[in-house]
Amino acid sequence: MANRAGFLRSGTFRNLAILILVWEVVGRVDWIAGGALPGLSEILIRLWADRGDYPGHVWATVQASVLGFVIGNLVAVGAGILFVLFPTLLRLTRGFNIAVFALPPIAIAPILVLTLSGMAPRITLAALGVYFVTMSATVVGLSQFDTRAADVVRAYGGKDWMVMKLVRLRGAVPDILSGLRIAAPNAVLGAILAEFGGGGRWGLGTYLLGSLGRGDPARLWGIGLVATLIAGLSYLVFAVISARTLGSSRSVTLNTAIPDADDGAERSLPLRLAVIAGAALLPFFLWWAFIKLTGVPDLIAKTPLGVLDYLFLSDTSHIARAKLLAALAETLPITAIGMLAGLGFAFLLAISARMFPGFIKTFMPIALVTQTMPLVALTPLLVLILGRGTSVTLWITISVTFFPAFVLLVQGIQRVPQSVLDLPRAYGASAWTELRMVSIPAALPYLFAATRLTVPRALLGVMIAEWLATGTGLGNLLNQSRGYLDYGMIWTVAAVSVCLSVAFYYAILLIERRTLTRLGMQWVE
Amino acid sequence: MHHDQGIHLRSVCKTYRGRGADVEALRDMNLDCAPGSFTALIGPSGCGKSTAMRIALGLEDYDTGEVRIAGHPPAAATASGVTGVAFQDAALLPWRTVARNIALPLEVLGRDPAKHGHEIAKLIDLVGLKGYETALPGQLSGGMRQRVSIARSLITEPEVLFMDEPFGALDQIRRRQMNVELQRIWMESGSTALLVTHGIDEAAFLADYVVVMHANPGRVVEIIEVPFERPRRNELYSAPAFHALCDRIAKVLHGE
Ligand SMILES: Nc1ncnc2c1ncn2[C@@H]1O[C@H](COP(=O)(O)OP(=O)(O)O)[C@@H](O)[C@H]1O
Ligand SMILES: [Mg+2]
Repeated sequence: MANRAGFLRSGTFRNLAILILVWEVVGRVDWIAGGALPGLSEILIRLWADRGDYPGHVWATVQASVLGFVIGNLVAVGAGILFVLFPTLLRLTRGFNIAVFALPPIAIAPILVLTLSGMAPRITLAALGVYFVTMSATVVGLSQFDTRAADVVRAYGGKDWMVMKLVRLRGAVPDILSGLRIAAPNAVLGAILAEFGGGGRWGLGTYLLGSLGRGDPARLWGIGLVATLIAGLSYLVFAVISARTLGSSRSVTLNTAIPDADDGAERSLPLRLAVIAGAALLPFFLWWAFIKLTGVPDLIAKTPLGVLDYLFLSDTSHIARAKLLAALAETLPITAIGMLAGLGFAFLLAISARMFPGFIKTFMPIALVTQTMPLVALTPLLVLILGRGTSVTLWITISVTFFPAFVLLVQGIQRVPQSVLDLPRAYGASAWTELRMVSIPAALPYLFAATRLTVPRALLGVMIAEWLATGTGLGNLLNQSRGYLDYGMIWTVAAVSVCLSVAFYYAILLIERRTLTRLGMQWVE
Repeated sequence: MHHDQGIHLRSVCKTYRGRGADVEALRDMNLDCAPGSFTALIGPSGCGKSTAMRIALGLEDYDTGEVRIAGHPPAAATASGVTGVAFQDAALLPWRTVARNIALPLEVLGRDPAKHGHEIAKLIDLVGLKGYETALPGQLSGGMRQRVSIARSLITEPEVLFMDEPFGALDQIRRRQMNVELQRIWMESGSTALLVTHGIDEAAFLADYVVVMHANPGRVVEIIEVPFERPRRNELYSAPAFHALCDRIAKVLHGE
């Protein structure tokens, strides 16, 4: 068991042990915010005392997560296959896909509760959480196939779908599995957020919400721990499965064929414009169709036109606009500041990683674990520690952007071959010169990608904090509107936050492509 | 145009139109392989050998000219299962066992692999891989993988067999072994064979006719008949007549 012994001796294990010990001592003596951080043993004792409550709540959350996970992934894999077979379809649904990716789940949880009933909102939100990740993993996996094997199939008269069936689908399995691995914790997060959004007696989200006012930190920490455990386990299951299957799917030799120059794009300009217009309009059409199909009355469910009417045409529209603008004025600055700070920290830490390799080695696993934590379950804990002021919003935003950005940046820098990194050193360059010449340029494309990818997370983090803690901004407006039964506002906030998220995404994309093209660099998908 | 079981390309032109420059891969290419004959196509790298073969297999369109494989246009011929093919790379599916890789063409053609269990076992035996039926490609050596690919090319009992540098990745010793085996397999099958190669000795050892191509643009410059008795054995490699023939091919190849 050399492996096991190696792990016991490794720095990660030692640091973990130290962390737990410090946590225990600090918690026991109630150092932080008057006992807001209990010791690990206190949390475990509380967990044991609450053991009667957990099975029902855990079961409800797991049930919704699993159902959403299965449905979302079936749709995602099916869509991925269609997109690869008919690339025009992919371009046509780009707007929808980005919207699903960028939507802050908390913003649409209330509208799902309004339009669907029973478990459906939870399942839908869990499914939405997995769709984009699995769909893109499927498209990537199916696109990178062994062209030589495909030639064999075609040489016997096999058509595209035969190549799909015999070569591409099985070849995409490792990619799809790694997509599922990342998607699994998303499903748990989606289910918990929908539980927050309304209704139901069971579920960890409901339990958390109900325990919020009791002033019992150990219980909140216990719930957070259990939620993290479920999400982490779901990640682990797929990590193990993909490690198992990877071996037999890798091509034995390297494919050196140049893939066909991709000009599947529509040739004529009018057709191209039509596809772009269709892509922009499709999300709104689907929104409209969703409402018509669910048959929810107009009073409760607003179509795109209904929202326009509410914001600009109705008698009370000026009040609605004022409320919305006030909320945006509170939410947007703090989102931007939090994101900048989180990305800045991540960038600085990542480019200096070469100077403190030991630190990165021990920190990386922790950063990876935070990726699977259901953010929402941790917010109340931060509230306990930091209070209900602006600082809690800021810290949540920083932490939700910092960790993914850091992981992405470090992985990006690690792709730079060691010889390139060593070259400046070999010519006696200073550490600063090396940073300037190698590490920073190498990290730049990943910084852009991280910015793009963390926009929705930042907005989600801020809105959760506003909803649960600070009582300001968009998050609060959403929560209040639920109380006032102000349906128009609920739909408006949902629509505006999704549109903002998408707009930011595209704005950054534009700057990214411009800058990197000028610098002659490749961008990261 | 012949409508027999052979391979016939008549005045075929093919230009690859890329983003930048166009590449004239074939100009006025003519090729006739009589039924049951073994033809080797030889020429410098980039002269259009693979292109000619891919056109004959319907994997690539051509601009002008006419192509007949066993009397049919390429697409019809391949879809009816009269052709077999082995590429330079074994191109095995890494998740399929040896037996299931060999069965792949049957599945593509919509035939039931279960009904061909006997043929699959026979082919595995023929290429000397008995005992490896359930092995995955990752567990085989390069030579063994190439033999799987040869077996796969024969599973449909093809009347026309295409091979694009099937032994290009093997060392000289292995290649000569494989050449002897290939000759034996081909003689048993009685099919029309077209072998793309850049090895002069390989072409001279295996073929009835060696077709020499030149590049820029790709075209046939000469057809050389190989008179040696079959079955040819390894001793042939050291025969003076064999060396004389190889020298002749080399001269044509180098444009002297
Ligand atoms: N898919 C393609 N697109 C553009 N040019 C190609 C393509 N395939 C081959 N070519 C060009 O056509 C010429 C002939 O190629 P090929 O038939 O592969 O040569 P050979 O097999 O004799 O080495 C070469 O110049 C090659 O660069
Ligand atoms: Mg070639």
